[in-house]
Amino acid sequence: MMEEGSVRIDLDKLPIKRLDAIDELGNEQFPPEIGHEEKRLSMIRRIDFSFVVGKDEKQAKSSKETAAAAAAAAAAAQQPAWPWQGLVENLQLAHQELSIIIDLINTVEANDAVAVAGMQRPKPLPNEVLSDLSVSAATKLQRLRHLGRYFKQSSKAMEQQVSRDARFYGSLIRLQQNWKVKRQRMAAIGPGSEGFSFDLLDNSFLDLTALSRPSSISTVRVDHHYSGILSIQRPQKSCRSISLRFIGADPRCKQKSFSRKKVYSSAEHPRTAKTEALTDEDVNECVKDTHSVLCEIHQSIFEEQVFDMVNHETYNPLPGVSVTGMREDFLQLAIGQETSVCLCLVPSGKEDVSQMVDPLGDSQNGESGLLNSDSMELSIVGDDKPDFLKLSGMPNPVSLEIYLLFIFLENVLARAKERRSCPVRAQVSGQPADDSCGVLGHFCMTVAHRIFSNKVLSELESLVNGVPYIQLLSHPTWHSRTSSWSLSLKVPQSVHAARRSKISDDHYLKHGMRSQFHTKVVVKDDQINVSGEGAPSIICSFRGSSSDVFSMNCYGCDLEDLPMILLQQVASQVIRWLHEEALVVGMKASRDFLCLYFDLDHGDTLGLVAHVDPDDINGCISWWVVMDDGSAEGKKLTDYGESEGRRFLGHLSLEALYATVMDLASLCSIGGIH
Amino acid sequence: MSKAGASGAGSGPTAAATQAAHQKQKALLQRVDTDVANIVDNFSLLINVARVNDPPIRNSQEAFQMEMRAARMVQAADSLLKLVSELEQTAIFSGFASLNENVDRRIEVFNQLEGSTERLLEKIGEEAAASLKELETHYYSSVLRTCQRD
Repeated sequence: MMEEGSVRIDLDKLPIKRLDAIDELGNEQFPPEIGHEEKRLSMIRRIDFSFVVGKDEKQAKSSKETAAAAAAAAAAAQQPAWPWQGLVENLQLAHQELSIIIDLINTVEANDAVAVAGMQRPKPLPNEVLSDLSVSAATKLQRLRHLGRYFKQSSKAMEQQVSRDARFYGSLIRLQQNWKVKRQRMAAIGPGSEGFSFDLLDNSFLDLTALSRPSSISTVRVDHHYSGILSIQRPQKSCRSISLRFIGADPRCKQKSFSRKKVYSSAEHPRTAKTEALTDEDVNECVKDTHSVLCEIHQSIFEEQVFDMVNHETYNPLPGVSVTGMREDFLQLAIGQETSVCLCLVPSGKEDVSQMVDPLGDSQNGESGLLNSDSMELSIVGDDKPDFLKLSGMPNPVSLEIYLLFIFLENVLARAKERRSCPVRAQVSGQPADDSCGVLGHFCMTVAHRIFSNKVLSELESLVNGVPYIQLLSHPTWHSRTSSWSLSLKVPQSVHAARRSKISDDHYLKHGMRSQFHTKVVVKDDQINVSGEGAPSIICSFRGSSSDVFSMNCYGCDLEDLPMILLQQVASQVIRWLHEEALVVGMKASRDFLCLYFDLDHGDTLGLVAHVDPDDINGCISWWVVMDDGSAEGKKLTDYGESEGRRFLGHLSLEALYATVMDLASLCSIGGIH
Repeated sequence: MSKAGASGAGSGPTAAATQAAHQKQKALLQRVDTDVANIVDNFSLLINVARVNDPPIRNSQEAFQMEMRAARMVQAADSLLKLVSELEQTAIFSGFASLNENVDRRIEVFNQLEGSTERLLEKIGEEAAASLKELETHYYSSVLRTCQRD
């Protein structure tokens, strides 16, 4: 079907009716006839009209401009031929030939009459051989490339596997340096888990906590993240700590900030989210975090064990200590008559926050999350004692918590060492726990002592406030049940300067005079011991001799008597100092317990008497001058009224006293001359 | 590594353990041999079929063979990796000598740490006491206090 020369249509030039098959009888079977219409349609579909359409447009354009039909025909003739024209023709020819050959073969195959006598493959041309070969080689190359890609992929996967393993086992080995790693071969191994676990139970506690609950948090499962990161599953209630509180005290007073640190949770580690580009630092961080988590869990196991041991020790009766409340994770002890302490295990991690309503809440739910009716009741009982709310007398609960943990640890270590029969350091450092009362007893006595010593200290401070020339010095004893202070009386600098102008230093040294006097207050448990120097004891004063002036006095006293005894001690020290000073300037002076007598002419005596009163707000020590004609003793000082023989001097400072004595001295010397 | 595990178990008290360790070692070595031989054999076969054959039909047969050989090689390599990971585990959990040594070392380190911490605490305590003394002396001799009563 040829139309115009300019339009070429691809046609099947050999519309041969092909045989589909020939049966045994020789009947030829043809494929079903394709309808004429269909044929035409398929033929039309094969016509490439795009070329014609393009050209028609061009023609339309050009006709508009020139409108010359002859010129258009000439232009159409001049158009270059389609470049693939030759190829198409060649292919058509090849197709034709192949069709003939196929037809022939089919005919020969179907026809018995025709036998193929011999067939020879046409000898391939050299270029054909080469092209065959090159096709084969190319195919092979393709295959090999494919294999190469496969190998590369596998090697990459294996490298990843190796680095994952290296990460995981490296982390595990590093953690194994500090923790006990266990492998559960038989256990049901979940996905992502290799069946490893950390065993955090410290078996040095085992014999002590044999009766206590089995610690559920001592086994920590290890997860192997697909990126090779090691993570652990934090068990429930794995972050708890002991909390100590005085009943009635405001729980907000407790500073928890430094005792609790950041809580790690490796399960939701951000690094596990990013699987690519995991650097060594990331792995390092992960190991460190895991280590920190394990440390936290280990610590809370320890604190739990200490709590259990405390519970255990309360089974034995302790003197002065009684258990007034006991619940799960809660213990209330009454120490002595006034003090009530509660010990509880409180969750300190963020994972447990949901379990507790208000960790540092008000006093109503002060029992830190263990909210039930008992705690309400207890805190109400505490509220009934408003005097306990003032916290000045209470020691810091945090330091007591630390001390409790410390003494139990020391105790456990000591027992562990004994068990190992290695008596290198049988005695624990600090102080050995008193065997008679046990560790808890020791702790309770410590608490009682701290409260008592705080009271003593406040007494001392108020006393020092009343006597301006005394200095209070604390002496740390490094023992939890002993406290010590000293009150020192210093001769003022101005007095030093004044007397230096009168007498040489050698004289002072020769007379063994002191410029400082000390009084020491030592509190052991609830025993106060006062020892002072430089004053004759009351017994000496009874004897009337003052020969043993350098003796040390020791008194045991209770809290009520303490200020009085101390003031007497200080006053007697002042008297002693004034006596020495008077002797130095050549006066005839004698001293008694709290009096200094100057002998005047005619057997008269002038007495300087100290009056002590701890409750005097103006000053605790006041001074009197007593004129005595020898007939009466001037010791009766209960009366404040002045009379002929006595004169109230007031609360004098040391300088004023010294000046008074010096005035008296000059007075006496004048009197002596007259 | 397997040797270390074997010798560690060999020093144990029972002969059965030694035997078991030997057997394990042998099995591991055998596995290594099998896997390596597998890789080498498959690789040589792969190289053999890599040459271009004349009849093109065989080439496509060989393509299939190549894929199979490659897969086997990869499988053997994976098995070797698994073996390495097993050995790593054995090294972690069976190197008792090194573990004990490490524990001893850690104990030593912690003892030192304990000592130094104790010294540090003592020092801090002494410093605090000295500071307290100084502050108290300063306070009680200060003008503020001496003038307080006046």
